[in-house]
Amino acid sequence: MTVFTRSAAEREAALLPELAALTERHRRACEPYRRILDAIGSAAPYARVADLPWLPVRLFKTHELRSVPEEQVFKVLTSSGTTGQVPSRIYLDRQAAATQPRMLAATLRAVLGERRLPMLIVDSRSVVRDPTLSARGAGVLGMMNLGRDHTFALDERGVLNHEAVKGFLARHGGKPYLIFAFTFMAWLHLRELGMDLSQGVLVHSGGWKKLAAQSVDSAEYRRQLGEECGLRRIHNFYGMVEQIGTVFLEGPDGGGLYCPDFADVVIRDPDTWQEAPPGVPGLIEVVSTLPTSYPGHVLLTEDLGVVHGVDDGIWPGKRFSVLGRLPRAEARGCSDTHGLAAA
Amino acid sequence: MLDVRFPAGPPVPVDDLLDQVTAGGRLSVGDERIRDFLSAFGRRLLRPTLSRRHPELGSLGFFLRRSELQRTIEGLRGEHVRVPRGLVFHIPPANVDTIFVYSWALSALVGNRNVVRLSPRAGTVAATIVKTLQETLDDADPIVAATQRIVCYDRSESITATLSTACDLRVIWGGDRTVDEVRKHPLPPYARDLAFPDRSSFAAVRATAWLCAPQATRQTVTEGFVNDSYWFDQAACSSPRTVYWVGSRADCHAARADFTTHLSHTVTERGWAVDAAMAVEKRVSTYGLAADGSAGAIDFHGNALANVTLATAVAAPRRWLGTGTFAHARLDSLTELVPLVGRRDQTMTHFGFPRAELLELARALAGRGVDRMVPFGDALSFHRVWDGVDLASEFTRLVTVSA
Repeated sequence: MTVFTRSAAEREAALLPELAALTERHRRACEPYRRILDAIGSAAPYARVADLPWLPVRLFKTHELRSVPEEQVFKVLTSSGTTGQVPSRIYLDRQAAATQPRMLAATLRAVLGERRLPMLIVDSRSVVRDPTLSARGAGVLGMMNLGRDHTFALDERGVLNHEAVKGFLARHGGKPYLIFAFTFMAWLHLRELGMDLSQGVLVHSGGWKKLAAQSVDSAEYRRQLGEECGLRRIHNFYGMVEQIGTVFLEGPDGGGLYCPDFADVVIRDPDTWQEAPPGVPGLIEVVSTLPTSYPGHVLLTEDLGVVHGVDDGIWPGKRFSVLGRLPRAEARGCSDTHGLAAA
Repeated sequence: MLDVRFPAGPPVPVDDLLDQVTAGGRLSVGDERIRDFLSAFGRRLLRPTLSRRHPELGSLGFFLRRSELQRTIEGLRGEHVRVPRGLVFHIPPANVDTIFVYSWALSALVGNRNVVRLSPRAGTVAATIVKTLQETLDDADPIVAATQRIVCYDRSESITATLSTACDLRVIWGGDRTVDEVRKHPLPPYARDLAFPDRSSFAAVRATAWLCAPQATRQTVTEGFVNDSYWFDQAACSSPRTVYWVGSRADCHAARADFTTHLSHTVTERGWAVDAAMAVEKRVSTYGLAADGSAGAIDFHGNALANVTLATAVAAPRRWLGTGTFAHARLDSLTELVPLVGRRDQTMTHFGFPRAELLELARALAGRGVDRMVPFGDALSFHRVWDGVDLASEFTRLVTVSA
């Protein structure tokens, strides 16, 4: 049972009513959200998913946006992201908190199979032990649900622990196992290992900024890890705490990221805000039916992306790539409120 | 060690720099040698090759005309004897390249020795200014080079501390945080700070005046407003962020609609555009105002112009909302501004009010806020009275003589 089944047309037909209903639900239940929709004059009916009103994802850093009463909040997720110190705050009720790991598991089942695999984590155990859990730690912790016999490949100082990896491979190396890493960590450490990882399924995320600086793109990444470690099954994914549980997953052939059946992306031209056609880069809007307890079902990210094709890949639907992050807007002017203190 | 940008020279330890400046001869208020230097420098800035590329240098050159310098000195005449303060330490903002020249030039004009700390992040305009100053030095009296320094150093608490303990006046531009940071370093007991913290500004328009104005006037005024706002990405402390419309509901509605048409057109025609990052910034800030209940309506005219209709005039935002984002509110009369104005408010750009009404407002405000009232188009023009302070006067002391 996989969640990569819907063609673009089927997806549009299935998601539109669900997302429109979520829009109305959040409009009723979340006062700040209603005020935003009123101010921009957004009202039903919505004819297409691309017509639904989007929220800039950064609003979850600046505002408390939830659609459930405070006493029903079961869990508050926070993430600092990369630019500011102010974290996003995502409010989950019991139901949303239960749904998100279930849908994450369903999504990754497409590449991991039905059973929990032994799991090698290219990180230190300390990232999940830190009481003030970092975004990285939270990411690792979320993924740990999907594996068993968790082995951390790095010691507490962040140095490769060859013995631990050797032991893991001795126990599990003969059959498929899961390797989870942040994109750059996998690149940095797996090649250094010099071990045969050919039964491994590498699932990685976290951005390409450092790799782009070394002129390593997705194709080169896959090629080198294949050559040097025997890794044949490599899957990047894209997701964010503001749409927890929803990940866009790279297909087996590396031809781009695909959307699970309950989600989609809309690439927007930042000049016209209209949907950009395939091949034309723009800002990535992510839509998902999972955010029921907060108005995060239609979000404009600050990531740039491009749709390569629709219904033309190994899985149905849109096939896209993330091209990088939009720089933070800076202004001239005479105050130092934009981080320009002297002295 | 600090880099010495003007007069160009090798890096020196801060103590040596202070020794050099202190040793370098005495200047008087309105010293002819400085006047000659400043007006020669101003003439160079007005050369078309420079001022066309950097219009802000043209404004600066205009400010440094000999007649203007004369006016400034004459304005200081009075019963008492004016004398320089001594050594003035200037800390200008990193992101407005010309401020340091206004601050330094006025201080030099009234006979001070000056050390200006130029930010390492200062832009190309600052570099052009320093180069032009250096060129001007060739024909100048040696006392200019002996008493004036523009230096550059990366964040160094110890250099800032040493310069602070040596100065008679410290001038801090560039926002609340900078002021707080710099104030951690003590001054000598007799010295004082002149601080220019974060400010914000607004515009006021009488709706009937707008509606009755000839088309050509409305166009000129709009162009002035565009310059006031877009030049420094609307982040300059004197750029308007809120526009108050004064008049009846119907008049204000009609005037604002017509103004928006002119504004949108002018912004497009002048080629003011914002990039994707700024476009997103504006969405974040305006949606945020809506979420707070401050904004009743938001409308976008392309990415370069966003209008926010405030739910109430009290909700006028003071913070920067992204280039080309204007909050609008309606008032029945100009005096309704009085309770709305706060200490942070600096410049009121205005259209359609007689001078008497503005004077009345200034008196009614009684120091709550607003230091300048200028017509649309003059928001960014530097004046020797800035933020309520007569700079030339502040840069001097008075000696009373009774016989």
